Amino acid sequence: MNTQVRTRPGPGTRRAGRRGRAAWRGYLYVLPALAVYLLFAVLPALHSAYLSLFDWDGVTLGSWTGLDNYREVFADPALRGSVLNALILVVFFAFLPILAGLAMTGLLILPGTSAAGAPRRRPGMGAFRLLFMLPQVVPLVAVGVTWRWLYGDDGLINETLDGLGLGGWSRAWLGDFDWALVAVGIVGAWVLSGLCMMLFLSGVQKIDPQLYEAARLDGAGPVREFVSVTLPQLRGELAVALTVTTVAALAGFDIVYVTTGGGPGEETTVPGLLVYRLAFSDGRVGLASALGVVLSLLILVLVYVINRLSRPQT
Amino acid sequence: METNRSANRNRDRGAEPRRSSYRSVRRPVLAMAALLAVLAPSATACGALTPGSAADSGRPRTVPRSTAVPAGDITLKLTFADAPAMVDALIAAFHKKHPNITVEPSYTQFADYVKSVKLTMASDNAPDLAQFAVGMDDIAARGDILDLAPYRDAYGWRAKFPAASLDQLTGSGRRAASGGHLYGVPAGLSMTGVYYNKELAKKAGIAHPPRTLREFEGQLAAVKKAGMTPLGVGALDSGGLHLWAELVNTMMPPKDYRDWVKGAPGATIKTAGTLAATKTLAAWSREGYLDESANGTAQVDSTGQFTRGGSVFLINGNWAAGQLSEAMGKKAGFFLMPGARPHARAVTSGFSVSYAISSRTRHPQAAGAFLDFLGSPEATRIVSANGFLPPDEKAVPMPGGLLGEVARAHRRVTADDGMNHFPDFTAPNMLDPLRAGVQKLIAGRVTPSAYLDALQKVWARQHTTRERARTG
Repeated sequence: MNTQVRTRPGPGTRRAGRRGRAAWRGYLYVLPALAVYLLFAVLPALHSAYLSLFDWDGVTLGSWTGLDNYREVFADPALRGSVLNALILVVFFAFLPILAGLAMTGLLILPGTSAAGAPRRRPGMGAFRLLFMLPQVVPLVAVGVTWRWLYGDDGLINETLDGLGLGGWSRAWLGDFDWALVAVGIVGAWVLSGLCMMLFLSGVQKIDPQLYEAARLDGAGPVREFVSVTLPQLRGELAVALTVTTVAALAGFDIVYVTTGGGPGEETTVPGLLVYRLAFSDGRVGLASALGVVLSLLILVLVYVINRLSRPQT
Repeated sequence: METNRSANRNRDRGAEPRRSSYRSVRRPVLAMAALLAVLAPSATACGALTPGSAADSGRPRTVPRSTAVPAGDITLKLTFADAPAMVDALIAAFHKKHPNITVEPSYTQFADYVKSVKLTMASDNAPDLAQFAVGMDDIAARGDILDLAPYRDAYGWRAKFPAASLDQLTGSGRRAASGGHLYGVPAGLSMTGVYYNKELAKKAGIAHPPRTLREFEGQLAAVKKAGMTPLGVGALDSGGLHLWAELVNTMMPPKDYRDWVKGAPGATIKTAGTLAATKTLAAWSREGYLDESANGTAQVDSTGQFTRGGSVFLINGNWAAGQLSEAMGKKAGFFLMPGARPHARAVTSGFSVSYAISSRTRHPQAAGAFLDFLGSPEATRIVSANGFLPPDEKAVPMPGGLLGEVARAHRRVTADDGMNHFPDFTAPNMLDPLRAGVQKLIAGRVTPSAYLDALQKVWARQHTTRERARTG
């Protein structure tokens, strides 16, 4: 990643004419990919931004309303509340999986580092990887249904609590006004932890063994090694993990749709769910588009901040 | 959908952050913004870019007044979402009667069906026949389905189908108020009520179904005292709104309720009766009469728990009767939510699996013959065999056991003209406020009057602004 920055040709090194022609030819090479990108990503996004300026039910003739839909997005407490729920979910979808991923990486890497200096794999690494990656492979709808059953009144979680003598704690988790959002968040954390671990494991393997050797010569123990060498070297992977999981939290739809449908009340309603509901049940395509646009902008800002913060200081 | 796509795009970008590309990305974004800025005002000016299309006034709005069935080979397309086995059997029986007419069914899962039917019926190659669903009143208003009133008179449907089930298919707003229109014909009917476990009820000292609401409350208290869960409610999905609607049915005059569902001018759900009904629901929850995990239990799960003795009473519809009768045999019983006085008018909530005719069909008469067939004795037998209540109950023998109790209750409702719509038929976006609202009532997170205010707000949006736009 860093090499890309360094190897970029500096501007103004060639004569203007040649540079212009080269740049023109460069665009030609990009054209096929650009065309696909424009047609299937940029245009639909612009189209929904355009639709957000109409009051339209999806079928009959729409009417121009300007920025009214945006006003409603910011004024309607239900819509604002959904954005707040999504931001709370970031804790569960982003921070918890990253912590879990780091912990798993630490546990899987550390014991082997001594021999040749390079991080060595723990025996059975393949099995661990398969196990922790599994939640990523299973379709999210199946994940949601499974967890709904686990959280159920006589599901595994309540049975376990009863078995431990904590029967007072057992409840219908997904129907509890105080716990439903946490319950949904834990499902997300479970799904995304494996992904973070995979990212970090692959990152660790790229770390220069000499760094570990140097640390070891300076008398660093395994914990110090992890904090001083592994963690800073994973900066790029951490940024990627944070970006992917934050987007998953904010744009999430499937887990909530399958487990709670946004309930109880509006406790677990997220913007993704509302966009779907507004457009397809309520026939308010304009408002749904406006909410989608606001959500996209919010995500773009957050992703920008994450990337900004994760840039190495020079 | 658009957001998902753009979110994916962001995710792709995030997965391989190319920091070097930030600067170069900015320029096209500006260009796009400029393009958008140019597009937007011009769209308002010419209207060509305005999304959607106006209703086509050239198409017929009603069916012909004739019962003639055309000769020659005809294929009708039918799109539907409920009871595939029943539909297949109906189609086969109809084909036997009219060998020249073939009906091609196409099945869509219910949740998806409701979301797509508006677009399906507006397309140029819309199917000839479509199952009636929430939102069909808007489709009727737009002229995408035909007014069947001439058939009703020519075929004599008033004699073949219960009045209440035809009344539910007369459109909404001004259209419904005129009473002259008809947009669908029912095949199988549905209805909600209360199931009870006779064995467990006896243990709690309950000898017979309650005759008044007060008596029912006493029974719930008795069950609670006996250490059992009184009432199973699957409020995670639609069980809660069924319970609320049942209580409203007993306390709000059916005429006022139907006016509200149909969007009659000035109708309101904010009445003393509905407030009392809503307060009753909240009180039942406070008293511990409802299953304490109701908000986290889906309807199917509450039904499963009931079969295992998890509750003494259960709110559900006739669609669960087959399963309950199989699992519990003679242990299970059924009654309608009782009214304030003994022998009060039998009122409950229900709808029908019914079908409408597209205004784009080239064979309105063949489609009319299919709809008329739904009232025939053969169709009635098929409908009944598939677990629905048949429109003409006298055409099938009275079943025994639990199914018989349901059928007898239904006869009472039909005789009393007591079939109310499900409350979510008020507006396409009424389901979520109802579901979420009842969940809040159960958890004590909303006051009964604030809940009714929220429902009335959704009603007003559907039935005042839209109606004005349509007629204006």
